[in-house]
Amino acid sequence: MDIHTVLKNKFGFDQFRPGQEQVIQDVLEGKDTIAILPTGTGKSLCYQLPGYVLNGSVLVISPLVALMEDQVANMKRYGEKRVIALNSFLNYTEKKQITANLERYKFIFISPEMLLRKSVKNSIERLNLSLIVVDEAHCISQWGFDFRPDYLHIGEFFAYEGRPPVLALTATADKKVIRDIGHYLNLEEPTLHQYPLDRPNISYTIMDLDSETTKTRWIQQRLLETKGPGIIYVASRRRADDLSSLLQEKGLSIAAYHAGKEQEDRAFIQEQFISGEINWICATNAFGMGIHKIDIRQIIHEHIPQSIAGYIQEVGRAGRDGLQSAATLLYSHEDEGRTRFIIQGDIPTEKEIRHYTSLLQKNIPSDEAAEMAKITATGKRIIDYYLERMYLEEVVRRMEKLVQDKEFQLQTILRLIYSTTCIREMILTFFGESSIIKPESCCSVCGTVDDRWLQGPQVTNLAKRPLNWTERLIELLG
Amino acid sequence: MNLSSILLTIINKLDGERTIYAGFHLLRGKRSGQTLQDVEYYGLKPFFGLLPKLRIVTFDEAANRLIELGYIATSDDSLVTVTEKGRLELSILPSYRFYGWDYRGREMIFYGRLTLTVQTMSNIRAGKKSFMPIQKDMNIQTFVKKLLYELPIKNPLFSRQVGEELTIGIIRSEMSDLQKVIFTHRLAGYGLSGWTWDQLAESLKLNPFTIRLMFIESLHMLLTVIESSTDLQLLQKMAADIKVSSYLTESSTKTKRLFDQGMSIEEIATARQLKVSTIEDHFVEMSINNTDFPLQMFVSEEETIAVIAKMNELGTKRLRLLKDEFKSLTYFQLRLILGARTGEGA
Repeated sequence: MDIHTVLKNKFGFDQFRPGQEQVIQDVLEGKDTIAILPTGTGKSLCYQLPGYVLNGSVLVISPLVALMEDQVANMKRYGEKRVIALNSFLNYTEKKQITANLERYKFIFISPEMLLRKSVKNSIERLNLSLIVVDEAHCISQWGFDFRPDYLHIGEFFAYEGRPPVLALTATADKKVIRDIGHYLNLEEPTLHQYPLDRPNISYTIMDLDSETTKTRWIQQRLLETKGPGIIYVASRRRADDLSSLLQEKGLSIAAYHAGKEQEDRAFIQEQFISGEINWICATNAFGMGIHKIDIRQIIHEHIPQSIAGYIQEVGRAGRDGLQSAATLLYSHEDEGRTRFIIQGDIPTEKEIRHYTSLLQKNIPSDEAAEMAKITATGKRIIDYYLERMYLEEVVRRMEKLVQDKEFQLQTILRLIYSTTCIREMILTFFGESSIIKPESCCSVCGTVDDRWLQGPQVTNLAKRPLNWTERLIELLG
Repeated sequence: MNLSSILLTIINKLDGERTIYAGFHLLRGKRSGQTLQDVEYYGLKPFFGLLPKLRIVTFDEAANRLIELGYIATSDDSLVTVTEKGRLELSILPSYRFYGWDYRGREMIFYGRLTLTVQTMSNIRAGKKSFMPIQKDMNIQTFVKKLLYELPIKNPLFSRQVGEELTIGIIRSEMSDLQKVIFTHRLAGYGLSGWTWDQLAESLKLNPFTIRLMFIESLHMLLTVIESSTDLQLLQKMAADIKVSSYLTESSTKTKRLFDQGMSIEEIATARQLKVSTIEDHFVEMSINNTDFPLQMFVSEEETIAVIAKMNELGTKRLRLLKDEFKSLTYFQLRLILGARTGEGA
């Protein structure tokens, strides 16, 4: 079947977005493929469409359970029922039931840790797989901003005779990360598709402000005078709550979002932001994955992000409708230390690792031991992986190396922040792109940012009034 | 209503015989021998497992508030008591209608099923077949799917019927007007998003935590009336398996099964590869929860009567003090007596 016909019949589109067609063609030809497509450009179509053309099931390895659930929900929403997510959310009976009937599903989403369970692995190997997809493939690289040790295992799974082609997808990857993806996934001479990262409709502004108070004042002024919808990224949960309530008091329509909020609250806020009921979100980096909103006009960073790649991922959520949008990064001199502190807080120190392993030897459950040794959940995940594979001394050295790597990434973004050359150019060069066409409204270094279009009446927080309870039920159910 | 006042009520019941952290374990629903024992001895079932995810910092804040207000005092051995001032405060507090022992946080599963059902019906009513489910939990999604499968959801009158049943349930539960507003605004539907705790707090001018507690209480009240309302069929289906059916922990249930087969404590310990003291904890749990617990197999009726009399005379349930009085009895025997003969089960 012609892929254009499938595109029309299954997805209702007349045309491919830039990059999609070439990636799909390579996948259909059975080549291992690495595709770097910016967020919001329809990455998932690159495996969904081949799924319908090829016989057999598509296995999608995805790092974040929440993201996975979101993708599955989206596919179901658009009428695909043969889709399932295999992750740690399932209980034993469900898992057993699903793995016994895996061949029923066209699209199987799976988390790396599930993939490596023997029972699951066996039932997957019995399947007729047409394609294996590694989503957010940059997570495999320690150079990536989202390193997931679980991902390093995936390659082990791929090492069997006659495996189907692998498609590695990511939004952002520099040369080092691309090399790591090919290496750790055991890809065979992968073809690389890389599509321009540049988003000409986004202007970049970086500003030096002397303290948190100044930043707060600037943000307040900005939100009162310019348009949303927008996202303010802050460094901590507490700051998200504080800044959000402060701005709310000024009459702005805003809510805080972070992983410390209850699941329902997060769903309510997301819904309200998408529907336009609230105009701004003040969030930690927990916000953004799986949000489908095309008219975000502004992204404001109130801290120094941990890496350029992470920064670009967040900024890329603006202006998916192609209209003019603005990215603003505010920093003060004290931020450098703060960001370093947050980054290093996740990586266990030698002392913590030794304390942790000595507790494990006393048969203390690992979760408790991690807590006692003051190791974060991320940190525990990383060292558990290494402790299984190497000696303690080596693990300690690994962690030191990781600290250095992260420090290197921080230095890179600091160079961007203090840069005296075009910000757009710096970013694109970092990702290995050479041809750069500067849009009219480019960046604060070029001095061409024109955000007069942003001026305008902001949405104020119309004091929400609860309904009478019977009215509310009638509005909901009739 | 707030955490401090609930804690004050709990401390009052603990009667100066426990440290303040007994309250923490109780609210989190810790299933250890000690906490389960406290629940029974001190009549604390309503508060058990009320806040399974309560953070220690939040708890400490509430406790410190009570200390600052002079409502509670701690002795040298960390035991906590209610002061005169605290007693005065207690007398003006409204009574609570929590049923923690029955629901233990599982009321949130019921709420999850309800929100998803309401969201689904609301969208179908608006002609929308696809929407982002407010609940991500697979179990809840599967449950609601199965539930709705056998109902006439396409009938335009059905959603109103759901609304009417819910209205009756809410009225019958006798929740307060404020609770009715909170409850209905935590539901979402087509074009009508739910309200976050912060948004409710902001517009009702209350502390978000207070609102959460009021919400939990309203769920407990609603679930209790649903249980006895045979006319609320849909709600009864949604409440299936929410109430705790066996008050024994899973491990204790296994021990009980072996005991019923005629095995001794030592034999059970060997068979299950557990310590004798652990098995003894299970027996104490059984003595608390099973009205037909054969206490006489472990201690004579005369001794039992004597211990209960002494307990009333001294006005204490502290084991150490009772042990001083009954040197021939083991701690295990004393715990069994207290378990079987005090609290609601007595």
